[in-house]
Amino acid sequence: MAATATPQIEPGIVQTTEDKPESGLEPGYLVICWNDPVNFMDYVTHVFQAVFRWPRKKAEFHMLQVHEQGRSVLTRESMEKAEHYVHQLQKYTLHATMERDA
Amino acid sequence: MKLVQATKTGIVFRLGQREKHSLVQILKLYPCMPPAHHRLSKSGRLPDAEENQQLLNEALAEQRADNKKQVQTLLADSRRFAITETGTRLSLTRADAEWLLQVLNDIRVGSWVNLGSPEDKPAELTPANARHFLAMEMAGYFQTQLLESLEGGT
Repeated sequence: MAATATPQIEPGIVQTTEDKPESGLEPGYLVICWNDPVNFMDYVTHVFQAVFRWPRKKAEFHMLQVHEQGRSVLTRESMEKAEHYVHQLQKYTLHATMERDA
Repeated sequence: MKLVQATKTGIVFRLGQREKHSLVQILKLYPCMPPAHHRLSKSGRLPDAEENQQLLNEALAEQRADNKKQVQTLLADSRRFAITETGTRLSLTRADAEWLLQVLNDIRVGSWVNLGSPEDKPAELTPANARHFLAMEMAGYFQTQLLESLEGGT
């Protein structure tokens, strides 16, 4: 299995170095898909398309990132939305979690 | 399992008698994933982590119970699982096919977990691991056919 690597910037995800407000805004949560040796690559691509309504090219990009780097940050959302996406991905039996954005 | 027709609304397959028997036996194994296998977070650094994990477990358990009922309904539905002179004609809506993909992957990944989550295929088949390995391979076969039809028919 590919080793876990430092997350990279993906298309569609805006990363900022600005300080977050101390209060008022909900912190962001990263939805992460982790590599495993069992799920088919085409299946993972299909699931990303189905869950996020992504075009095939973007879904393949993230699938390959999972495969080669061990994980891919799929999106950054509010806690509620991140939970929703993790649940959707787990319904498809992908190894997905959510983590608080540092 | 051969694709007969794929349209924007539905997919039709033809299955031989042995294939149909294999598919039915495989689907009867559902669910294979151990309960509470999925974690909401790796780090556990979420607000109300335990409570949210419990909610996720409940949601997935409810989903599995619904899916199991739906599998039984599918297997008993003579319109979708129609017996013909040459075998069986399996007619699925696209939503059915998407759902069946989830069910088959649960069986595939669950069987892999039951094998001990190996990195590679088992070096030796034993009475203990053979059924999990067979279920994993068969679910993968049907899953691939389904996936190809979903991708190709759009």
